[in-house]
Amino acid sequence: MRIRTVALLLTLFGMLIVFNFAHAQNAPEASEKGKEVYENSCAHCHGTEGRGDGSAAENLLPKPRDFTRGLYKIRSTGTGELPTDQDLFDIITEGMPGSSMPPWDTALSANDRWEVVAYIKTFYDGFKEAETSPKQINLSGKVAYSEQSVETGKALYTELGCVECHGNIGRGDGTSAPDLTDEWGFQSWPANLTQGWNFRGGSDTEDIFKRFIGGLAGSAMPAFEGDSFPGFGLTAEESSRMIELDNKDEMTEAEEEESAQLYEKYDAAVDIALNLAEGTELSAEEQQIYDDAMRVVYEKSWHLANYVKSLMPEKRPEPAIGNNVLRSQYIQDELPPMDDAAWGTLEARYFPLVGQIVIEPRQFNPTIDAVNVKSFYNDTEVAFLFTWDDRTHTTDETDEETGKTLEDALAVQFPVKVPQGPTAPKPYFLWGGRLPVYLWHWKASAPEQVTELTAKGINNAEAQAAQGELHVQSTYTNGQYTLWVKRALKTEDKKDLQLEPGVFVPIAFSAWDGANGDVDTKRVMTSWYTFVLEPVPSSKRFIYPPLIALLSVGFLFGLRAFVQRRNSEEI
Amino acid sequence: MKKLSLFTICLIILVGSWVFLRFVVGGIISVPIPGSVIAMYMGLIIIAILVHISVEDSLFQEFRRPILETLVEDKRRNHRRVLVVLIPLLLLGYTYSIIAQRANPPGSPRDAHPSPPLELTYKDEVIGTMQDVVNPFRHYEKDDPEAFSAHVENGKRVYHQNCFYCHGDHLDGQGHFAPYLQPLPANFQDPGIIPNFQESFFFWRIAKGGPGLPAAGTPWDSAMPIWENTLTQDEIWDVILFLSHYTGYQFRTFGEAH
Repeated sequence: MRIRTVALLLTLFGMLIVFNFAHAQNAPEASEKGKEVYENSCAHCHGTEGRGDGSAAENLLPKPRDFTRGLYKIRSTGTGELPTDQDLFDIITEGMPGSSMPPWDTALSANDRWEVVAYIKTFYDGFKEAETSPKQINLSGKVAYSEQSVETGKALYTELGCVECHGNIGRGDGTSAPDLTDEWGFQSWPANLTQGWNFRGGSDTEDIFKRFIGGLAGSAMPAFEGDSFPGFGLTAEESSRMIELDNKDEMTEAEEEESAQLYEKYDAAVDIALNLAEGTELSAEEQQIYDDAMRVVYEKSWHLANYVKSLMPEKRPEPAIGNNVLRSQYIQDELPPMDDAAWGTLEARYFPLVGQIVIEPRQFNPTIDAVNVKSFYNDTEVAFLFTWDDRTHTTDETDEETGKTLEDALAVQFPVKVPQGPTAPKPYFLWGGRLPVYLWHWKASAPEQVTELTAKGINNAEAQAAQGELHVQSTYTNGQYTLWVKRALKTEDKKDLQLEPGVFVPIAFSAWDGANGDVDTKRVMTSWYTFVLEPVPSSKRFIYPPLIALLSVGFLFGLRAFVQRRNSEEI
Repeated sequence: MKKLSLFTICLIILVGSWVFLRFVVGGIISVPIPGSVIAMYMGLIIIAILVHISVEDSLFQEFRRPILETLVEDKRRNHRRVLVVLIPLLLLGYTYSIIAQRANPPGSPRDAHPSPPLELTYKDEVIGTMQDVVNPFRHYEKDDPEAFSAHVENGKRVYHQNCFYCHGDHLDGQGHFAPYLQPLPANFQDPGIIPNFQESFFFWRIAKGGPGLPAAGTPWDSAMPIWENTLTQDEIWDVILFLSHYTGYQFRTFGEAH
């Protein structure tokens, strides 16, 4: 009896799984329901006709996808292929980090999401006309993460020209970065590879690998499948040898011969790939050459994926909220200058930036992710080290629309007077209001200078008449700004913030990326965070704990003596 | 197996209860219990144990026997050595951790829904008293569904050109800028938001934003803009229609009796 019940339950359970699994493979036929969900939840960005032209689209970059061309960035399928239904479902479910596409996992039921998948497919006829299901990328040859693989990937990163867009160490600051556009002619910034949390299709090694092989359709990112892969048809050693020979100023006869042979092999493999693409039957020998070449392409892509993975921290740093506030560390000596190794001993606090969308002109599409901050202080001074990633070094560009000068900049904001007590009002977070704020304003065009400002509103800031003594150093290297500012804790100027250890001080930031059109109110910013000169821990911590430990030892021995004496009396 | 002594049983109960409260309820079941409540429970358990062992003299003798043995008898010499090092060390670590604790910033107590002023204004123009003002387009819902749809549709446009960055595509306060703002943007899908307020209250919060909050709302950390600078009166009323239409929640009204 009992066995039969169990068997029945297991069968039911199994059927459920099979049903779900079958369901997960393909979207249902497009229905009224799909249209309804789409119009209610998607059309405001993607447009009722699926052209990516909803009412919100105007202010967004990356632009919402235009579904009428069948170009999808995030796919598990090869280059030129359409996405699978599961791909579309996953994007809707998980959203696209770093863009305005949110995850719909809680807002829409799985059923509704499948209905939407079916509906958006109706915007592009290619889905209906496709005779075979899209070819998925084979992930079986995965190369495990290892230092060796990362090294190989690093060499490939240069060899394949990734540097041109993504920059020397991946911060998206390559020389061609500002000029890239997508299929629709909109600006398309290359990914900052050190910020995996902004990868639209996820930052697992598999995700990265799929983006290499399949490409990001519609964007400037090429697919590396097939003959477009540099050194196609050559082994890893052969292709690096080929490059080595190419870079030689003069070749010996033997080397010229060798180079010619390598090129011949490369050309042959490319021809085969082109024939295959045109639908020509391959001979067994040609097929073998092609398969071997593809194996090398896949293997290299895994190395490259491992390298990219090595560039980013495991997850996005925690924002500096709650108890995770910015704590300036006390040192007795002279404060370390910008390039001092001492800064390496501190953990940076992470201040994510959002667009300023309160006051016109607004910035809806930030290009700077966050400011990272460290700080030291001694008995008389405080020093800060600010770093932030910016793909371009802009000091003097003219905005075509407004004629204003665009340049990169950073502003650090404090209240003039620290609010006393938790309910005391802070100045308005956007450069103050009724209560004024005290600002350090740094501009890329004057990299060794910080101007002190007093502001009572975002459009109501003035340089202080008496500029205090601020020491400033800064650099821009590999897509990252570093700014070092040192000031006395106390100043004579009443409009300056006065600092004291142990006092929690509100702090906020504004940043401008000139290449993104940031100027004046159009900027990225934070709301208020907190900063404190961490008091030197009380020296009591070296007195009381040992004292208590000693007392407890004394107590234990005393207790033992007491019990012993009593025992002997009883006897 | 040797029978456990009464002392060991009591110790197991004590430590077991703490682990249960702190890590099973607080961790696995994830209903974190405040430290003070755990301390209270532990206090009760200690009292219960003390009551139990002091009911009879024999029980008390049995309870304290292992303690006395450990203190003096030769066969327990090794236990004694371990304890005389361990107990002071634990106390040392504990007092150090208390003294060396870093100060944390004060929390910011604030009234999330402060009382509105008596009069509803747009810029400087008085619209009416907060209690009496109604959404001028609300009546279309019954009188002219087509006009109503047009207003909702316009509200939707306004929302997605201005609000959704923070309040989200799904009106759940999870827009792509939201995670980095404090306090978090309002979640209109929360059943405690729309049904608790009149439309005039929403008009006030939208029109005046964070800076328009009364003193009870300090510290004013809200990033809510002053929308009367950007949106027309009609646009604000349309957005309010859209909020209730999309979420399905009805704003609070004071009905016919008023």
